[in-house]
Amino acid sequence: MKRIRCSSSLCDQFLSSSRQIVPRPRITVTAKGPLLTSHTRALSTTPVRSQYYEKPINPYEPAPGEPLPRARNPLNSAKLAALHARLSLHPSYPIQTLARALIDQSADPIRFYNNSSLAYLGNSLLGYYGAEHFMCTYPRLPTLVLKSAMAAFVGPRPLAAIGREWGVETAFEPTPDVDAGLLQFKRLPPGTTVKGHLRPARSEGVPEEEAMANFVRATFAGVYLHEGVAASRQFFRQHVMSRKLDVDQLFNFVQPTRELSRLCAREGFTPPVARLISETGRMSRSPVFIVGVYSGQECLGQGHGASMDEARIRAAVNALKGWYLYSPANPVDLPSKMDVDPAASFAPAMIDVGEVIV
Amino acid sequence: MPVTALRAVSKAQNGVGAFVLQCKRLDFHYCDWAGASRGMKSFIAHKLADFAKANPQIEITVSPRPNQHPIIRGSYINGREKVICVRKLDHLQILQKAELLRNSSGQKLKKFSKPVKSMNEGVRGIFSPYHGEKHVI
Repeated sequence: MKRIRCSSSLCDQFLSSSRQIVPRPRITVTAKGPLLTSHTRALSTTPVRSQYYEKPINPYEPAPGEPLPRARNPLNSAKLAALHARLSLHPSYPIQTLARALIDQSADPIRFYNNSSLAYLGNSLLGYYGAEHFMCTYPRLPTLVLKSAMAAFVGPRPLAAIGREWGVETAFEPTPDVDAGLLQFKRLPPGTTVKGHLRPARSEGVPEEEAMANFVRATFAGVYLHEGVAASRQFFRQHVMSRKLDVDQLFNFVQPTRELSRLCAREGFTPPVARLISETGRMSRSPVFIVGVYSGQECLGQGHGASMDEARIRAAVNALKGWYLYSPANPVDLPSKMDVDPAASFAPAMIDVGEVIV
Repeated sequence: MPVTALRAVSKAQNGVGAFVLQCKRLDFHYCDWAGASRGMKSFIAHKLADFAKANPQIEITVSPRPNQHPIIRGSYINGREKVICVRKLDHLQILQKAELLRNSSGQKLKKFSKPVKSMNEGVRGIFSPYHGEKHVI
């Protein structure tokens, strides 16, 4: 599992607001014209500027010492202040970072003003916290189910839902004079295909769901950078893991009886046998059979059904879910606990051999 | 073929982890001329600043609405709005109305007939007549 730590240099890198000054190769001008070096030839499409070139005045440039352009007015926005308070963010979380989290890449291509770097960091953190939670709490979860469970909590759809539940509204068009408390992104024209290779470039617009999910990721990264590891873990627990999902509803078994036999063979159990426990109304229009699958004397699972076959399959599914959804009795220590306090006591998580190969 | 997975999205449970106040915006409208707005103007002058300070998570706007009754309009996270006419009310009554809008969830009012509503399944499980001691007639 990957550990992410935040050093001050990383913090500077993600939050650096000043434009990066790229050293331009020196151009010597002769009577024939500029002598292009091999490096400058690659850049020859850019217009050649003199050494004493002055930057054009940009009304949306930030004032010295301010991370965002003045025109976006992050400090004058009532919506932004209300959002900050609604999320109970610490006063050390600046309003400017929250304003930047609301600016999508499609609204402002300059990466020092948009949320792309914050969203990238936030996505890594959300994936890390989500993965460690499920891998430690349900160590036997099959890979596909683990992925599905993670997507149900930290995928784009739940993240966009979280953003909407925070009361974030979207700007109609991402002009710089809109309220800084609105989500700013370029909308796609109606009827655009957003999946597969037909998906248009990001600069042409993004779906609302994607922009909203990126805002939530960027907000999460801001908590990590400004408030620290402990606060970001708590923020994750409060806003993401507090949501409701039954993991047992995610399984889709294709051949449960066969899978159960393979599991018993692998684990060295006695091969499973289905036995009828109880029945009623066999000759009526609504019979009920209760079937249990037994490995020796041990009942692995039970199921009911209108036919014995149905009940047997349900029993096998029940037994497999009992195996795959094993969870340690005591609350497990998550690896990110050590990020908060490296001296804390830590009990390693159980690692399972993996799902049954049928 | 081994087990495959179904797609699902987790459901929000506001207040289980973090609590997000559902009222996101309150608009106060008054009329400068009409006497029905006297209480509202007094409320805006003397009480609104404290109310806004006590509720930083709500965006508050004040705007004139000439020749109309004074109203408070609450906007909620679920997209609905609630409007209360505060004509001829004094500033304390208006404060009560503002608090009513703040505490509201934005849902339509409905009657709850069951004491508990939950997404979790019952801890006792469902009764099965086929298990346990069989009843002998």
